[in-house]
Amino acid sequence: MKASGVKYLIEQGVDNVWKNRMMAFASFCVLLVSLLMVGISSLAYININSIVGGIEQKNEVIVYLDDNITDAEIADFGNALRNMSNVAEVSFYSKEEAYASLKEDMAEYDVLFESLGDDNPLPDAYRIKVADIGEIDSTIQEIRLLDHIFSIRAPYDFVNILVQLRSILTLVMSAIIMAMVIVSMVIISNTTRTSVFARREEIQIMKYVGATDAFIRFPFFVEGMITGFFSGVLALVITWLVYDAVVNALQNQLSLLSIIGTGNIIQFSDIYLPVTLAYVVGGALTGAIGSAISTRKYINV
Amino acid sequence: MVELKDVSVTYSSGVDALNHVSLKINDGDFAFVVGSSGAGKSTMIKLLLKEIDATEGTVIVNGYNLSHLRRRKIPELRRTIGIVFQDFRLIPSMTVYENIAFVLRVIDAPKKYIRKRVQYVIGLVGLQLKAKSYPDELSGGEKQRVAIARALVNDPKLIIADEPTGNIDPELSYEIVNLLREINACGTTILMVTHEHEMVRHFGGRIINITDGEIVYDEIIGGEDESEWSQISD
Repeated sequence: MKASGVKYLIEQGVDNVWKNRMMAFASFCVLLVSLLMVGISSLAYININSIVGGIEQKNEVIVYLDDNITDAEIADFGNALRNMSNVAEVSFYSKEEAYASLKEDMAEYDVLFESLGDDNPLPDAYRIKVADIGEIDSTIQEIRLLDHIFSIRAPYDFVNILVQLRSILTLVMSAIIMAMVIVSMVIISNTTRTSVFARREEIQIMKYVGATDAFIRFPFFVEGMITGFFSGVLALVITWLVYDAVVNALQNQLSLLSIIGTGNIIQFSDIYLPVTLAYVVGGALTGAIGSAISTRKYINV
Repeated sequence: MVELKDVSVTYSSGVDALNHVSLKINDGDFAFVVGSSGAGKSTMIKLLLKEIDATEGTVIVNGYNLSHLRRRKIPELRRTIGIVFQDFRLIPSMTVYENIAFVLRVIDAPKKYIRKRVQYVIGLVGLQLKAKSYPDELSGGEKQRVAIARALVNDPKLIIADEPTGNIDPELSYEIVNLLREINACGTTILMVTHEHEMVRHFGGRIINITDGEIVYDEIIGGEDESEWSQISD
């Protein structure tokens, strides 16, 4: 097909939005609500996941080392930890640092520290953050195989709760998002079908005068894409406003923030690009494909 | 040219719509197809447009053997046929000009040619002043003229007119048939389906009578010829 032919079909699609404005408006509203349902559920999931992830990050495994360990052995031990696949961060916490910190924390028991003199009873230690908290058990078992370990402290109970919480959340939120997607698809499909049904005769006339399926579908595709695009844009604006309002409200809840941490709430400015793309491209594609598919029933004449 | 060789059509419901029909309409012919409702006239039109397939037999339209025609080639076949419906079937959201030009846009004709050709056929059917009107703003007769212009615009070899006078005033019906006869005089084959025996008697020509899915009469008669007509109406 010539460029002028494609231009004509695009113009037809644009004109059709206005000519069939009632149905276009209905499709627009349905797409808007669908995009909002799926979009807001997804953003809620991402944030909850980030908050749980942030809480997980606060947990660390502490490996206390034997008292008679040499500097070279400490360095080797650190390297061995860094080479483990599930170990994300390793930091050394010397017995001197630990002693100084303890003295600072327990300043009122100065007498007690004086009685110890130069004797430092605290061990050297490595603080470790694991990459996947669900794998913490096997990582600790791997650490146990190393020499010069005095003891290991790991937050098993808390980890188990978090791992369970995250898997339940993933399951529940995935189910909600899937349900939203299915409901949206059903509504979108019914709306586009109704819109195409109103113009079934037009499609049949086009077939009778020798139009190819692609020629008939293309304007519907363009029409759906335009409707979907604008639904995506409005859904983006609404989401942005609602999201910022919710984040602001949460930031005023200081007690809640102390648990979840301010850094774990994702700011809209950090995610606007993927969210914009998802809404606008998702809206345009859903509208376009939905319309084009709905013509199929009437195209077979 | 239209040729049906021993064609039968049986619908999935078991109804035999056409029963071993053979028929040949040569290029440049004008033929009336008459018959009561349910006789098989609409089935024949659907067959010629390859909307349905023959259960048996061979259908040839404008050189296309429809038994072997692939689905993607159907638009090509339909571009050689102009179709006029009883209920006009104009696209309501398009003006008269756009309704007619659309047929040429389908075949990707150059813009300049479309403008020239559409203005020409609008002139032929006498609707120059209505080019920018929408179908809703036209009378029944005017709508049918637009439908005829649309059927004519891509210079088809064959025009199938399915009860083209069924929805318009009787005096306008004769105008419509005269218009079709003028088009036929320029070489286009016309197949006009109608149940208006009075009009067929008035114009005369080739009459094909279908009854219960069979051709019971296929003769050429002169206009207003009562003796010949009595055979058809019986």
